[in-house]
Amino acid sequence: MLEKMKEIIAEQLSVDADTVTEASSFKEDLGADSLDLFELVMALEDEYSVEIPAEDLQSLTTVGQVMDYLKAKGVEA
Amino acid sequence: MKTRITELLGITYPIVQGGMAWVAENNLAAAVSEAGGMGLIGGANAPADVIRDHIRKVKAVTDKPFGVNIMLMSPYADEVAKVVMEEGVKVVTTGAGNPEKYMDLWKSAGIRVIPVVASVALAKRMEKYGADAVVAEGTESGGHIGEITTMALVPQVVDAVSIPVIAAGGIADGRGIAAAFMLGAEAVQMGTRFLVAKECIVHANYKERILKARDIDSSVTGRSHGHPVRCLRNQMTREYVKLENEGKGFEELEYLTLGALRKAVQEGDVKNGTLMAGQIAGMVNKEQTCKEMIIEMIEQAEGLMNRN
Repeated sequence: MLEKMKEIIAEQLSVDADTVTEASSFKEDLGADSLDLFELVMALEDEYSVEIPAEDLQSLTTVGQVMDYLKAKGVEA
Repeated sequence: MKTRITELLGITYPIVQGGMAWVAENNLAAAVSEAGGMGLIGGANAPADVIRDHIRKVKAVTDKPFGVNIMLMSPYADEVAKVVMEEGVKVVTTGAGNPEKYMDLWKSAGIRVIPVVASVALAKRMEKYGADAVVAEGTESGGHIGEITTMALVPQVVDAVSIPVIAAGGIADGRGIAAAFMLGAEAVQMGTRFLVAKECIVHANYKERILKARDIDSSVTGRSHGHPVRCLRNQMTREYVKLENEGKGFEELEYLTLGALRKAVQEGDVKNGTLMAGQIAGMVNKEQTCKEMIIEMIEQAEGLMNRN
């Protein structure tokens, strides 16, 4: 899942995929603002066919947290 | 000028008055609605009972439709979200965030929900969650703003969603309305022009600053903190921008802006207050009634749009 995530994040946030790790924080490390995060969430929803409600977004600050979240939603790794 | 927005909201003219914090209270909202536009009460950070009071005062003087703007970062947002349902408000616009957690609730009460958005992705998301329309607000607007200009944002949002789009930011006359319609908008939202309306309760000093403002008087504070706010230049903004450029953080500078909008609106403190206004303030130079403004703008817009 990490590879696919890196690819999506790199595309949505215009960052180098190699700089993305599980520990990367969207805001601190990848420079994403709230509008970037919406772009990313929309892309993830499309890719994995899940719904990510806004309330859940606040607790999703790193790449690893998003991966855990998606797995908990039943997305296959 | 019939559009999907005038149909949706049951209004005569496709003009929505911005839900300006502290400024858009019952007098202004009632005057705009009574004149055939869509008046809004600005929920801002006000407690739910204050909003309830404004709603009842509007209902007492007009039976035309009006709405409430809910500022989602307000500590009272949850309560205000309930009050609009209890009071039978027909239209809710939302700002400063994502209203999806209230969407089902409001839709079930038959409320038309119109989020203010500053990007294509948020507009698409709002459509998916059931929004009836969106306000695409460009960075020319006063108050809390996004990055994209109205000219660039509106057609991109129009292309991305199938719900109707209301354009906001930099519009204050019939030319602006006609231009917004050319970009695909089906209504406009305006704040700055209505701020100087006769019915608007804002302090005379604040109105005077807008009436006298030039194009270059617009400044943005807090851009480096990710909380950009557009207002007219004064002692406060100069101090803020100077310290901001020296690298001072959001929390360190909060003392400059805390309560500063109320100071400007109610006390007329034009030195230390936050004089929120859009970039178009330089063109706004007449105090008129809401009705005079709306009729003048619609006639101008129709004249331009029927020219060929």
